Amino acid sequence: MPVTVKTFTSSGEAAAALSSDRSARYLGGGTLVMRALNEGDVSISTIVRANDHAMMRIDATGSRVTLGAGVTFARILAERDLAFLHPPARSIGGPAVRNMGTVGGNLFASNPYGDFTVAMLALDATVSVQGGLGSREVPIEEFLQSRERQTGTLVLAISFTKPASADAFRYCKIARIKPKGGAVITLAAYLPMNGSRIVGARVALGSMAPIPIRARAAERALEGRSLDASTISAAATAAVEGTSPGDNALASAWYRREIVGVHLRRLLSGQE
Amino acid sequence: MLELRKDIFADERDDNLKEIGKGTQRQDMLGHVTGTSPYFDDHKLQGMLHLKVVRSAHSHARLRRVDTSEAERSQGVRRVIRGSDVPRNLNTLLSLINFGKDDEPSLAVDKVRYKGEPIVAIVAESPREAYEAIAKVKIDYEPLPAVFDVEEALKPGAPVVNEVYPKNTFTYYETYDHQKLRFGDADRALASADHVLEQRYEMSPIEHAPTETNGSIAAPDTNGRYIVYTSTQALFFSVDTCAKILDVPSNTFHFIGGTVGGGFGGKVDTLTEPLCILGAMLTGRPVRYVFGREEEMQYGPPRGAERIYIKDGVTRDGRIVARKIRAYFDSGAYTRLSSYAAVKCAAHLPGPYTIPNVYGDVYCVFTNRTPATAMRGFGVTAMDFAIECQMDKLAHLVGMDPMEFRILNAYRDGDMKAHRREAKNTALIECVQVAAEKAKWPIREEFKRMSSRKDGGGARAAVTPTPRETHAPLAAPPQQRTTYDRPPVATREPPPPPPPPVSPPPSRPTAPSHGATRFSSVFGTRRR
Repeated sequence: MPVTVKTFTSSGEAAAALSSDRSARYLGGGTLVMRALNEGDVSISTIVRANDHAMMRIDATGSRVTLGAGVTFARILAERDLAFLHPPARSIGGPAVRNMGTVGGNLFASNPYGDFTVAMLALDATVSVQGGLGSREVPIEEFLQSRERQTGTLVLAISFTKPASADAFRYCKIARIKPKGGAVITLAAYLPMNGSRIVGARVALGSMAPIPIRARAAERALEGRSLDASTISAAATAAVEGTSPGDNALASAWYRREIVGVHLRRLLSGQE
Repeated sequence: MLELRKDIFADERDDNLKEIGKGTQRQDMLGHVTGTSPYFDDHKLQGMLHLKVVRSAHSHARLRRVDTSEAERSQGVRRVIRGSDVPRNLNTLLSLINFGKDDEPSLAVDKVRYKGEPIVAIVAESPREAYEAIAKVKIDYEPLPAVFDVEEALKPGAPVVNEVYPKNTFTYYETYDHQKLRFGDADRALASADHVLEQRYEMSPIEHAPTETNGSIAAPDTNGRYIVYTSTQALFFSVDTCAKILDVPSNTFHFIGGTVGGGFGGKVDTLTEPLCILGAMLTGRPVRYVFGREEEMQYGPPRGAERIYIKDGVTRDGRIVARKIRAYFDSGAYTRLSSYAAVKCAAHLPGPYTIPNVYGDVYCVFTNRTPATAMRGFGVTAMDFAIECQMDKLAHLVGMDPMEFRILNAYRDGDMKAHRREAKNTALIECVQVAAEKAKWPIREEFKRMSSRKDGGGARAAVTPTPRETHAPLAAPPQQRTTYDRPPVATREPPPPPPPPVSPPPSRPTAPSHGATRFSSVFGTRRR
């Protein structure tokens, strides 16, 4: 059966086409779907596209940032208001991939990819999706946990509160090949300060489980404390708790467990 | 010096070349940067079919049953090719030079020996239809115990990977299971050495990762001939390999190479051409067979993994008196070119050093891994990595500067090499001297004055008799040290000062730096 391409002008029509066909996939920049097709993935028979301008929009003027699902990493890098997201955007692929790859597609990128999603998880983003039953807002953590079942829903946008200060958000990707290799692990941390104490710490890890996860134990070690050496040590020690990394060609599960605390320590102490 | 017989080879070489140190335009550069270089895959022929293979899901398994009936009925499928359709379904690449036994089928028949081994080929109207038919091929595997480690594969009772070589080793000269090098009496010399250091080195397989994956397009021509556009980096080798497998004279084929989009040794195995031509023969239409990226990375042959043990004996004053080496080349499930790698490795021992007692055993071992092949100095590169790591450790062990240690042990003109050939045109000493100079690495004056052309031969040309029988292990002197990380003994003069701290690289000279001046230090050092 040949592959059919369906292009719609509105996201609503695209979502309907997506939810009515189990073999349909939404094509954003194509960095994942075209690769799958070229490698012979016969589970995809229909490609759905949408030319909806709403999905290309960036709204970064207020305290809440909204990124349309079709926003590319190249566009994020061109946006001065999104400087705090430049490190994760720059850590993805080479220029060609960043020029095509989208924020929405990254939510579906499995290990060792999906670095931007790790940043989104640390920012506790909300994913706007449109399924057969209309649109709704899903917390990113919930979205990722049911990611395998989300292929029939269309991601419209992702939104989050802008970090209060420049150094409250930190990001680091460990790769064998810089800058465009797949991740050994990816780390993102959001550390809002109330006076000298961290209030509402969030630490997200990529490649430490089948999906990006929050490092709850490390967050507990940071919560309500000042970011001093003993706090950083406690968080670094706790980083590996609750993780379930896998082996792949880039690193073994053992290696990932060994280094996650090391890199979290460096990230928190500003060495990375 | 190298002598060129000008009376015979008058036109062979221009004696007035002045190329070194100058920028020279590559002849294919213009085509690459303007996008006009021709590649095999630039041909979109009318009625062209696409071939894809069903690959083994197991590393080692018996094929109980292969059911292609549903795949044959799948939409767009023009032909399903099985092992029985291949005229000579057993080949080894170097059989063209009578080296080795035929051991590898184009399509597996009774057994698969590595994960990803081709079992069935599907020729369809489009790649998509070929993939859909692949999903409909039903294969009943009986998994067998697999072996992935070269030393495990040599143990008695290890699974037999390839029945052509039941001992899991390549057979040299129809008799021997390894390459052997014996020079002098290494065991006796090790027993009397001041220090002995044994280390283990291991390399992983390395994928060539070409930008253009392996592939070819075959099209029927007039007079029963076939035109083949191919990415091969060994065109005539591929012609003859296809002629053998397809059991036709080689003039049946008109092979057209193009730009090889990255080869590095990964495109000599002729993996796509035989099936591609067979597909064209069986359907009468042009057929294209190109590896996907994952196929290239996972099942395209890599540089083989190697495990190397080196045991060296060294005297307190820094002379290596014995070197004993055991090396295992992981050939994967089939020979391809690893048999030759082991030969090259044995010929390379003990590295560019004059060592009076050398002992080498080099094995080409079969395991259930992806077959390995050629890659940039294969057989020598890994051994050099091991030897040079070992040289650094030995230098540390005797408390010598590693550069001086190499100069001291380097071979010189007139020395006897372990293969009983006189060393000629040697230049390692000069290379190390230049490297030290360029790196601003201090070496002592006496080492700066040493030369490959002086003080060679004589006692260094002697051949110590090699015992026929292995003698009982000799007792080592009690003071012999066997680890390299202990501090040097006090009897030696203190080690030379460490290299100067890393400083920013010196800025390039402002004057134009011609090759002639940059490289003159080689000759300057020699004349001093």
